[in-house]
Amino acid sequence: MKRLFLTLILLLASMAASAEVRVVATVPNMGMLAETVGGDAVHVTVLAPPDRDAHYLEARPSMMAALRRADLVVAVGAELEVGWLPAALQGAHNPNVQVGRQGYFEGAAQIDLIQVGLVADRAHGDVHPAGNPHYYFDPIRMGEVAQALAERLTDFAPDHADQFRANAREFAEQAAEHVERWQGMTEGAPGAVFYHKDVDYLAELMGIEILGYIEPLPGIPPTARHLSELVSSLRGEEGVILYADFQPSRGPEFVSRELGWWQQQLPNQVEIGADSDAYFDLINRWVEAFKP
Amino acid sequence: MRAFWILALTAAFASGSVVAEEPTLEELMRKIEALEERDRERQGRIENLETELRAAQALEEDEAREDDDERATPRPAATGAGPQADPLDPTPARMRARPMATGEVTSGTAFNPAISVILDGYYAHFSDHLDDPAGFDSGHSHAHGGHGHGIEEGFNLREAEVTFTGSVDPYFDMMVMAAISDHGIELEEAYITTRSLPQGLQVKAGKFFSDVGYINKQHPHDWFFVDQPWFRELIFGEEGLSETGVQLSWLAPFDSYTRFGVEVLEGSSDGVASYLGDSRHEMVTVLPGENNEPVRNRWRADKNLRDRDGPRLFTGFVKWAPDLGFDHAMQLGAFGGVSQVWQDETAHSSGRLETWDGDSQFVGADLVYKYGRGGLMGHGNFVFQAEYALRERDVEFQSRQFTDFSNLVPTGPADDPDRRDQTWRQDAFYMQGVYGFAPRWNAGLRVDGAGLTNRAYDGGTDSLGRRGMREDLDASWRYSGQVTYAPTEFSRLRAQVSYNDIADGHDAWQFMLQFNMSLGVHGAHAF
Repeated sequence: MKRLFLTLILLLASMAASAEVRVVATVPNMGMLAETVGGDAVHVTVLAPPDRDAHYLEARPSMMAALRRADLVVAVGAELEVGWLPAALQGAHNPNVQVGRQGYFEGAAQIDLIQVGLVADRAHGDVHPAGNPHYYFDPIRMGEVAQALAERLTDFAPDHADQFRANAREFAEQAAEHVERWQGMTEGAPGAVFYHKDVDYLAELMGIEILGYIEPLPGIPPTARHLSELVSSLRGEEGVILYADFQPSRGPEFVSRELGWWQQQLPNQVEIGADSDAYFDLINRWVEAFKP
Repeated sequence: MRAFWILALTAAFASGSVVAEEPTLEELMRKIEALEERDRERQGRIENLETELRAAQALEEDEAREDDDERATPRPAATGAGPQADPLDPTPARMRARPMATGEVTSGTAFNPAISVILDGYYAHFSDHLDDPAGFDSGHSHAHGGHGHGIEEGFNLREAEVTFTGSVDPYFDMMVMAAISDHGIELEEAYITTRSLPQGLQVKAGKFFSDVGYINKQHPHDWFFVDQPWFRELIFGEEGLSETGVQLSWLAPFDSYTRFGVEVLEGSSDGVASYLGDSRHEMVTVLPGENNEPVRNRWRADKNLRDRDGPRLFTGFVKWAPDLGFDHAMQLGAFGGVSQVWQDETAHSSGRLETWDGDSQFVGADLVYKYGRGGLMGHGNFVFQAEYALRERDVEFQSRQFTDFSNLVPTGPADDPDRRDQTWRQDAFYMQGVYGFAPRWNAGLRVDGAGLTNRAYDGGTDSLGRRGMREDLDASWRYSGQVTYAPTEFSRLRAQVSYNDIADGHDAWQFMLQFNMSLGVHGAHAF
């Protein structure tokens, strides 16, 4: 018993002594950003795996255990994680990372979102009235988020403030360079059909026309009628069909067969623990796919 | 095609039955063009329908061949209930109201509570009268008012559950859940939880389902079966361990989820903490008077039950969940409780009053394992759960017979030879597995056992701790199977068959059909 008690004390002491800022990121792309900005001064845990749709997770005890010990939560926001993050936070018994506190950081609140103010009615599918939350496909906006995150991290590790800011700036500059190069690559690219509204930011950035979505409404699985209408309206046009690795392939494959269009399934998130190069590679794959 | 129409029209004119006047060539051409236009439209419509058919076939393949394609596994819907297919919570976890403080984006619900309505109705048919398992008939033989979750035959609208959740301020969250049924409106749960205590502490206060075990704090819409397991109903009471009081829990700062909790509760649940308090037993008799006129006679006697203000029930629990990655989750729990009072009474029309007054205690363990690979609409998800509890009640039994009605002198308890100590030791367990065998569909099997330990000791224990005369009652079993169809995360249709193998009673089949629908935003449940 005494030994157990001592172990406990040591454990608690070692945790208190740890200099790293304990960051919990909701999805791998935000984990990458925290890792990039925070460098050695942060320890990042990611709650969602890269190959799952972040809309459709549920709170689990391991999430609560991670949040319990977190100094800072880095979320996508705009209600992307609304189905599970509030429950996980409530079960985490950690006041410091609750919404509204210094330890809760939401990328969506740092930038301008697109598609803000849609009607909040479930008849329109899984809408996000706060705006489209998939800005993580926009490297420029991610650069802005990185700079805001650097400021927030400074609250937790003031000694590393310069490092955080330099890292964020570097990320933003790299993003700008990549985007300029990509915009040259997508010159004259045809329009695209996506599965969900998750590539809209990138399409806008690259000047790609969005010709339609495989989903009839956000979050509603494709129906035969919708696909047939989509095919009828697009017959004779040029385009590509792109969708994420966790999205079902039959709908896109069908449209691809009917229209004779190129279709490709690509990752939506970087691997857990990936760095910014992996992120730019990921975006690069999507950009290349716009003009196969 | 044009040739066909010209031929057709020519034939029509040749028959002389179409028009009396000669049409001009121009008119004929116009008609032909109009018919061609219609034909093109029809052709287009047929093509669209063909496309739609092919799309339907392609999508069907999508579901059928989903197994072959590991990548194409999107939309999880938790087996049975969940909107989302992650392994963990069976309950649709949806939007909660959150405070609009600094740096977060919400859709404007921040200052309003999230409101949801859940409607639960069923039809049930039994092959025979349903008996209580041997040894468990005294615990809940009295209706203590309010709505119960016991299943009744015929069409039943079990309840409409209205839930309000939200943040009070930066320091507290609140939840109010009212069940509206034919019995009126009853508060099922109404409590506040703290959100800013340090060191992983959290306090919950109000009326709530105790956190002992796993299924106890779930509402009927969270259950994978139409009815609750015997474990919850027979050990704790028809509404589970639902109490008013305070809970303090601590989430340890460990790598694996470890939570300890204690609860100080009023103590009123039928199964383990039934409380009546002292009152007077009253009986009215009408006997013929001297001239044969009816004379009402009333007598009262003290029931001799102890009065004791709450809190009377104290519980504790621990839950542990190792991190098993993104596809698996498991939680183990242990719990126990002590109630300082357990009381019951039965008044017989013969004039006999029986009372029980004592205390009770219980211990138990629970296990839940969930697997979810993110399949389409819950496809491939699996949930296994099992719980066990052992309960012991030590009571003093008194039986008083009011024999002499003419002068209304009750046989005093002091003189009654029928006053003795009793001990009941009983347990119940269940285990169930539910598997999402196709997108939107799941099926489950459940085994209930009650009274594996089912002993009654008469005479209590002597000074050496030896027990008195012992009676062993048999165990009862129930086997249930269910199939659920969940078109979306918000609606569920379920069929269930149960076979009751009751010790000292009829065996009986139960057949049940249920619908369960939810409206609005529902507070996310924590595992």
